[in-house]
Amino acid sequence: MASGGGSQQPTSAYKPYRHVKTLTAHQRAVSCVKFSNDGTLLASASLDKTLIIWSASSLSLLHRLVGHSDGISDLAWSSDSHYICSASDDRTLRIWDARAPFECLKVLKGHADFVFCVNFNPQSNLIVSGSFDETIRIWEVKTGKCLRVIRAHSMPVTSVHFNRDGSLIVSGSHDGSCKIWDAKEGTCLKPLIDDKDPAVSFTKFSPNGKFILVATLDSTLKLWNYSTGKFLKIYQGHTNRAYCITSTFSVTSGKYIVSGSEDKCVYLWDLQSKAMLQKLEGHTDTVISVTCHPSVNKIASAGLEGDRTIRIWMQDP
Amino acid sequence: MNAPIIDPLQGDFPEVIEEYLEHGVMKCIAFNRRGTLLAAGCSDGSCVIWDFETRGIAKELRDRDCAAAITSVCWSKYGHRILVSAADKSLTLWDVVSGEKISRVVLQQTPLQARLHPGSSMPSICLACPLSSAPTIVDLSTGSTTVLPVTVPSNGNGVAPPSRNKYPDGTPYTLTAACFNKNGDLVYMGNSKGEILIIDHKNVKVLAMIPISSGAVIKNIVFSRNGQYLLTNSNDRIIRIYENLLPLKDGLGALDNLHKTIEEEDIVEKMKAVGSKCLVLFREFQDLITKMHWKAPCFSGDGEWVMAASASKGEHKIYIWDRVGHLVKMLEGPKEAVFDLAWHPVHPIIVSVSLTGLVYIWAKDYTENWSAFAPDFKELEENEEYVEREDEFDLVPETEKVKESDVNEDDEVDIVTVEKDQFSDSDMSQEELRFLPAIPCPDVPEQQDKCVGSSSKLMDSNQSGSPLSEENGQNGLAANNVSSPLEEDTGGTRLKRKRKPSEKGLELQAEKVRKPLKPVKSSGRSSKAKSKSVVDQDYGNGVYADDGSDDY
Repeated sequence: MASGGGSQQPTSAYKPYRHVKTLTAHQRAVSCVKFSNDGTLLASASLDKTLIIWSASSLSLLHRLVGHSDGISDLAWSSDSHYICSASDDRTLRIWDARAPFECLKVLKGHADFVFCVNFNPQSNLIVSGSFDETIRIWEVKTGKCLRVIRAHSMPVTSVHFNRDGSLIVSGSHDGSCKIWDAKEGTCLKPLIDDKDPAVSFTKFSPNGKFILVATLDSTLKLWNYSTGKFLKIYQGHTNRAYCITSTFSVTSGKYIVSGSEDKCVYLWDLQSKAMLQKLEGHTDTVISVTCHPSVNKIASAGLEGDRTIRIWMQDP
Repeated sequence: MNAPIIDPLQGDFPEVIEEYLEHGVMKCIAFNRRGTLLAAGCSDGSCVIWDFETRGIAKELRDRDCAAAITSVCWSKYGHRILVSAADKSLTLWDVVSGEKISRVVLQQTPLQARLHPGSSMPSICLACPLSSAPTIVDLSTGSTTVLPVTVPSNGNGVAPPSRNKYPDGTPYTLTAACFNKNGDLVYMGNSKGEILIIDHKNVKVLAMIPISSGAVIKNIVFSRNGQYLLTNSNDRIIRIYENLLPLKDGLGALDNLHKTIEEEDIVEKMKAVGSKCLVLFREFQDLITKMHWKAPCFSGDGEWVMAASASKGEHKIYIWDRVGHLVKMLEGPKEAVFDLAWHPVHPIIVSVSLTGLVYIWAKDYTENWSAFAPDFKELEENEEYVEREDEFDLVPETEKVKESDVNEDDEVDIVTVEKDQFSDSDMSQEELRFLPAIPCPDVPEQQDKCVGSSSKLMDSNQSGSPLSEENGQNGLAANNVSSPLEEDTGGTRLKRKRKPSEKGLELQAEKVRKPLKPVKSSGRSSKAKSKSVVDQDYGNGVYADDGSDDY
């Protein structure tokens, strides 16, 4: 057990984040924002059926990706930051080139209902998607072919994520369970929560792949050690009872957990002490998605229908 | 592997053909260090790199100058380069990422096997084992060659031609087998007199000799991945496993020391004395009943298992032994001879190349782990009488609570650090190439028509001439799929991946669409393939029919 000193230090030296800019270009609720892995670009998805690629540094609009025939719920970047995959209510996923001429390269068809979540594996040769049709599908990036269908849950799948070597997939669902899958064989290795409620709204592996962060619709975020099946930390204080709000790990300065909230704020907690460090106010509706820049202390957040903006926050130097 | 929850007991060796790869006529194969990519040399002189995860083609290396069959492929240590030897006597070194040729050297004789120096990340030195001449060190940047001695220099110079080039049964055999040790400072050679020679290839000097009791011609000599075991395959139908006594780091230095300490007048006796300090016989494997010859022997990735194929024509039999010497598994495939074999460096997966040019992937027959669905569930082999504890059904709420809180929430958690994996080297001077970027090939609106049009051309391999084993039952499966697309048979949570030819065909077609300029060679078997393309088309429709159902 490490002494408290190490964890207290960043807390006391915490430098607050400040609002830098508001991006208004989407006509409907913004559903997802994500920085590219190389940190040069920011992508946003919206219910207005479009995606926008922004420069992460100048925050100027570079291109709008048009093609989906219904709202978009999620997006993912390939590891090399060259491609974006989007998940839409039109039951398809699309792979876009994030470089000029910004073409839609593939349409992945197969899901029988809204596609709700998507992610690339670290090798970026596979895409995993989760849908309201209660299945998880694994797609081959190159050919766009569906390699595997996993009847994963008994309610809509709300999130899917690969671990850092691409060997495991974690999925969360409204059915209240969270399952770990062998990415190769598609077999269930472990169910993590088996209580019927609350619904799991978001799951994600930690950067080293040893833990999973699980959000449930009782306004709780938990850090689980999936190999022992025990939770390690609980983060509370925010409001999350209806939407699949995303949360993430911030590792560029201190180690934080960052999450959106239905009280229109972005919450930051200290990873170790679980103390809430800051509440970023400004959005005028639920903050549905947050993303942390991979190298600098920058956060982007997205607001739902009543807000329709993306806000950029930066830590004081 | 960052997966502590994957059951370590779930399988050590493969059992069934999981699927097969089809592209031209493949002759030889090699995994990169992590087993993420599989290189395959083809009969038309090209080298295909498969993404072993998606089982799709990641790259194709093709040289205008080379149309002869590839005889061997070899990855550099970190996977940035591939060395290919071909039947037109050439050695070609490729840059994997760019797909460009770095150098090409033409030898006097056809190299049947070529190995890159394993010690450096950007090797320019290789060891070539040519047809009917001694193993040669080739500098690929300058093209200079150094012929290695094949016998102990008893009197005078040691460069002597291989004395016996034929099997007793009359088939010509003229390869002198040789390989680098793990570090690359020594070459281990098995000569036709049945001796293992340890050679300092820089100074072109034999340093030690280990005679094999029978004195039979050595056909193969292979090190395990960790460098601790060496196996030889001899003409006496015995595979011998030796333990390497030399240190892995500076084997050459240790050998030099042995030379200084061992006093012996006769040079041959001295070589033997030194040799006895280098390798010690550990096990012998043979089939006493069928007395068969072995082919393509190798170790498993972790060195725990040894496998070899039967050299008999017309059978696809792979034998697996544990290192102690027990035969643990015999895999039998379709009635086609085995050309080459490789064990996946990490997983219990074997790939075998058949005479017909298909690559079969053997894997464990995964069974659903039902206990994975209930966290505290244990599967029992047989019924057990359960004796309950005295207080088992007593209500003791306190203990429940204690159980809940045995995790201290204030313990520090580390979400960033990753343990070094088994492949990490202290001298990781260079980033390892683990996978090639997948480039999504753009959708073409008229893809369906195009697919059908090109499929007869694409079915160029002689797959139609190779009936698969029962367990693969390709035709039955393909037919089933027309009526029931992939999604229908899941039942549980798992879809067994037995890729059908039709699916492979689709993939190849997609490949074709992506590279319209690169013609795929037609082998004149299109008439046979045509009937199959119909199945393809049906299957394709099956898949798309599923999509069509979206439109309600």
